[in-house]
Amino acid sequence: MTSIAYYPGCSLHGTSSEFDASFRATARALDLELVEIPGWECCGNTAAHSIDRLLATALPVNELVKVEKDLRLDAVAVPCAACFSRFKTGAHEVARDPAVADDVRSVVGRGYEGGVTVQNLVDVYHDAVGLEALAARVKRPFKGLKVACYYGCLLTRPPEVTLAEDPEYPTHMDAVVEALGCTAVDWNYKTDCCGASLALTEQGIVDNLVGRIVGDARDCGAEAIAVACPLCQVNLDGRQSEIARKDPSWVSVPVLFLSQLVGRAVGLDEKTIGLSKHLVDARAVMA
Amino acid sequence: MTTCTPSGVLATRVGDGCAENPYLCYQCKRCTAGCPVAEHAGMHPAQIMRAVQLGQYDMIFEDKFIWLCTGCQTCTTRCPQGIDIAAIMDELKIIAWREGKVHPEAPSAAMLKLNYDSFVRWGRMWEVELIARDALRRPKGALEWLSLGPKMLLKGKINPTLKRGDTEAMKRMVKTAESLNRARESQRAAAEKAAEKPVAKPGAKSGAKSGKKVAAPSGKSPASPPGDEGGGAS
Repeated sequence: MTSIAYYPGCSLHGTSSEFDASFRATARALDLELVEIPGWECCGNTAAHSIDRLLATALPVNELVKVEKDLRLDAVAVPCAACFSRFKTGAHEVARDPAVADDVRSVVGRGYEGGVTVQNLVDVYHDAVGLEALAARVKRPFKGLKVACYYGCLLTRPPEVTLAEDPEYPTHMDAVVEALGCTAVDWNYKTDCCGASLALTEQGIVDNLVGRIVGDARDCGAEAIAVACPLCQVNLDGRQSEIARKDPSWVSVPVLFLSQLVGRAVGLDEKTIGLSKHLVDARAVMA
Repeated sequence: MTTCTPSGVLATRVGDGCAENPYLCYQCKRCTAGCPVAEHAGMHPAQIMRAVQLGQYDMIFEDKFIWLCTGCQTCTTRCPQGIDIAAIMDELKIIAWREGKVHPEAPSAAMLKLNYDSFVRWGRMWEVELIARDALRRPKGALEWLSLGPKMLLKGKINPTLKRGDTEAMKRMVKTAESLNRARESQRAAAEKAAEKPVAKPGAKSGAKSGKKVAAPSGKSPASPPGDEGGGAS
């Protein structure tokens, strides 16, 4: 069994508890031991980097230092795409600028040596577990369910920081869902922003963005959308119910965490992967 | 040092803060073409970049664009000059907070502050607190939530409880970062003041236009800007 540090982040303890539950359950089923970082702090999210740049870099680096020096592990799973982005950015900033590294060391109290690999949800299944090992664990393969893999903004951008292979047309999540027996559809809005950071304040803009993304997935034949970010999920799922309320002709598409698709395929039950929490009912496509 | 015109001041300040060089922008507008919110504000990213180069502070801060920016990094990814444009948007927000230039009609700005206060207070961000405080401050806007909120509650999507982080560690980090920031800011202000004097007369030729490098007015620069070529340190 491989051990990997785990940083859940605030959303997985809040609006997206089913993401946390399904991720932990799939890790167990795939022989991956998750060691949650003790007393973890918020990564600073969208707010810190637009208010205090130094704090925004120091907060994720503080968690990386805990992984490196306290847990003595060489990788951390950060399933929330927004947290993942902050972790990667923090590590990138201290590696490229010694002056920043000095300031961050003063704030954190310890230095970061750069010895931790930061993995997002797709990386965990695609790289840490591996496609072959994943396929070997599939007990209930999907029978060609058509899935649009939605990467959103921060899994791949900016590529200098994430080191994503193809930031404009990523395919790793597609490979993971194919290993589960799904059919990944080609579509146009894989990496477009859903506007989740404006979900509480600018609903008009957000409905417009969500409508375009989900509409295109549907037009390209998708029966479900797979995501790897709690903000994307709550936004695409929640706003669709509002769009449908205003537009009776709207046909909704269920929005699933990649971990829920993996969970179903490796034989976990509906309750374990939290299927009852979706506003757009996802049970039919997961049956 | 002769390039410190008023325009140089803003570009220098923005460039120093985020180690980017705004003068590298040549207005190709790829940032704008890919921006998810460009159509919803008065200005678009390329116009913001031009205004930074020209020192047109007020134009930027009177528009809502920087507060609509979602930080999606599309502009940064596609800029052919390698400018981290999203970082420049962040830097403009930081300057706006510092100088009291936050747009009064941008609810997203207030939301960022609520979010920041929440994780500083608890060590972690508490979503329920954000929604509640936003509703108190802005009852009309929160009406929108009346239909979605209860649905999410019923589905168990909203977890009212809070699990705290290590609040002591958080407070210590915030304090240290703030004092370091204050020290850097007073160094910067002093350097700016010292450099302004010789060229404060009207009619001073703008050398900033040709000066590709955003050099700090004096030697003191916490994060030195990138050189002429390449932009970001990729």
